[in-house]
Amino acid sequence: MPSVSDRAARAIAYLTRAGYRRCEPAILQPASIFFDSGEDLRAELYLTSDPSGADYCLRPEYTIPVLALYLGQETQRGQAAYSYCGPVFRFRPGASSEFIQAGIESFGRSDREAADAEILALAIRAAAAAQEKPLSAACLRVRTGDARLLARFLEALDLPPQWRRRLVRGLPKGKPLDAILSPRTNGGIRDHSGLLALIEGADKQGAHALVEDLLAIAGVSAAGGRSAAEIAERFLEQAALRSGAKFAAERRVLIERFLEIEAAPGDALKSLRALARDAGIDLSAALDQLEARFELIASDRLEGTEVRFAAAFTGALDYYTGFVFEAHHDGASALVAAGGRYDALAQALGSARPVPAVGAAIWLDNLGGAP
Amino acid sequence: MSLVIAIPSKGRLQENAAAFFARAGLDIVQGRGARDYRGALDGMEDVEVAFLSAADIVAEVAAGRVHLGVTGEDLIREAIVDLPSKAELLAPLGFGQANVVVAVPRAWIDVKTMADLEDVAAAFRAKRGERMRVATKYVNLTRRFFAERHVSDYRIVESLGATEGAPAAGKAEIIVDITTTGATLAANGLKILDDGTILRSQANLVASLQAEWGAKVRERARIILSQIAAEEEARTTREVTAFLPNKSGGLLAEVKALFSAQLRIHSADGRLAFNCPKEKAPLLADWLIAKGAPHVCVAAQDYVFSAQNSLYEKLINRLPPFRA
Repeated sequence: MPSVSDRAARAIAYLTRAGYRRCEPAILQPASIFFDSGEDLRAELYLTSDPSGADYCLRPEYTIPVLALYLGQETQRGQAAYSYCGPVFRFRPGASSEFIQAGIESFGRSDREAADAEILALAIRAAAAAQEKPLSAACLRVRTGDARLLARFLEALDLPPQWRRRLVRGLPKGKPLDAILSPRTNGGIRDHSGLLALIEGADKQGAHALVEDLLAIAGVSAAGGRSAAEIAERFLEQAALRSGAKFAAERRVLIERFLEIEAAPGDALKSLRALARDAGIDLSAALDQLEARFELIASDRLEGTEVRFAAAFTGALDYYTGFVFEAHHDGASALVAAGGRYDALAQALGSARPVPAVGAAIWLDNLGGAP
Repeated sequence: MSLVIAIPSKGRLQENAAAFFARAGLDIVQGRGARDYRGALDGMEDVEVAFLSAADIVAEVAAGRVHLGVTGEDLIREAIVDLPSKAELLAPLGFGQANVVVAVPRAWIDVKTMADLEDVAAAFRAKRGERMRVATKYVNLTRRFFAERHVSDYRIVESLGATEGAPAAGKAEIIVDITTTGATLAANGLKILDDGTILRSQANLVASLQAEWGAKVRERARIILSQIAAEEEARTTREVTAFLPNKSGGLLAEVKALFSAQLRIHSADGRLAFNCPKEKAPLLADWLIAKGAPHVCVAAQDYVFSAQNSLYEKLINRLPPFRA
């Protein structure tokens, strides 16, 4: 069986031949660029600091450093396509914390659906090439999703804002619908439900002014970085939430129907269009994009590879903003390749403008167990 | 090789730990001076006491350089990443109680639960492009607790002292800290979330699973733990004795069901002795009199040793089988 480094050499050769220029950011990275990816990733970092106290870490992944390199170039305008291959370092209990990843990132392409399809096809073919197998013999299963479609769907359903926020955040984290839609009610001594019931449906401006006045009496202008107006506004939103809990039955059924959609692309699209029609909502722009992407993926002819679409699947990382995918060997649970679109990440890294971006990583150490 | 027990080197934790061992008849004697960091148990061979800070005790337990330790559960759960393979909490000791809690500014009248916090944290990030900051020294406990409650839009700011002042100083929005009465939090304009108690902590007797547990060390541990268990059993129970010559057949089962009392002596002439939970002893006495006992004696005890030593068994079940 070929070693991980053999597979790595074949994968990177395949990716560079495809026109993705090799880019190798330093192993030692400023830690702060990863902090905004959340405490989950931060908990896995290998951190160190220099004598001045600046924090560094061993790179836990490639996407952020590669994007940072792209953004740091003097002449960083227009399109760029990069590949990479090397060790990444993440604390993984029970597994080696140093492992090799290969991958690709594509920046600046405005033909998003075509870029999405290209990244998927290339990642899949490179994973097969790394194993020295024809694609048809690699027997890969690809699950795709779309982080933006879920957001658009919930927007179109016209839910109270607080409910929409809870759903958009809770569903991708795998929080059950029940837990999201039935917030804990509590009967503590500081329960404001009586007051909220009075405010509910009352003159909003007057109620807002009252709460702000009460906070002003207490000497609160801004507390913990939140303004009195912000606090008052959300306090009043809770009144809406109480009645909003009843929004439910029919729209809840629609949400459940949406989340259950998991099928081959054509069937999934049919179900989604039917759902939009039944719900009386307009999702045509998002669904047309989805269809265009499906067609491009189909035209790539990924022999022996089963591609499906799952409406509830929005990617494991919260920076994904659109297309997402993950690939496994048939019947195995270990990830072979995964990726997606992250158009908002450039701005989080300090870019003045958004940069269309999509990429994928190949988990070379998971290819070994392939049948 | 000696059995090494680490106990806190200063403050109330030290006094309480020393009192705990003394209560079990195990007097800690300090080395040559008060500043000596090694000691012993009076009259006990091959047992060494190490005086360390509560945090160092956790590190020494995790590394296997001490066998037993007394320290806070909060520190154990925070600092030992793979607790099940590193250490075993043998017994809570009834002192050093404190809760690790999530506290937010009192002015956040719209935030009462972790679900509220999750919503506010997300809105905070959406509006400012920055994550809400959480000041704490409990980095791991915080991450675990927030992840379980699906709160992800936050950033930890490590704080190694006066954490409760961080929001007022503008260093963080909210905190995760330890509190006993909540008074310090209230004085700093903070309130605890209704479901924001991460851990109800107290001092624990903890055993290292990483240390070398040779035959002699195990034997020392057995003696010490059985003495501790015997004292605890004695402190929480009373001996109830009575003379009941004409007792009915189901009486013993009834006593066990009604009073959770254990029968200890049952002689042919009708003498009975029970070990009964302290608070139920008077009720049991009254009940025995109603059944025909002329007198019932309830007595406090110094030690109740049992063939079954629950503390030692808890330890030995977690250690690899001993091979000489």
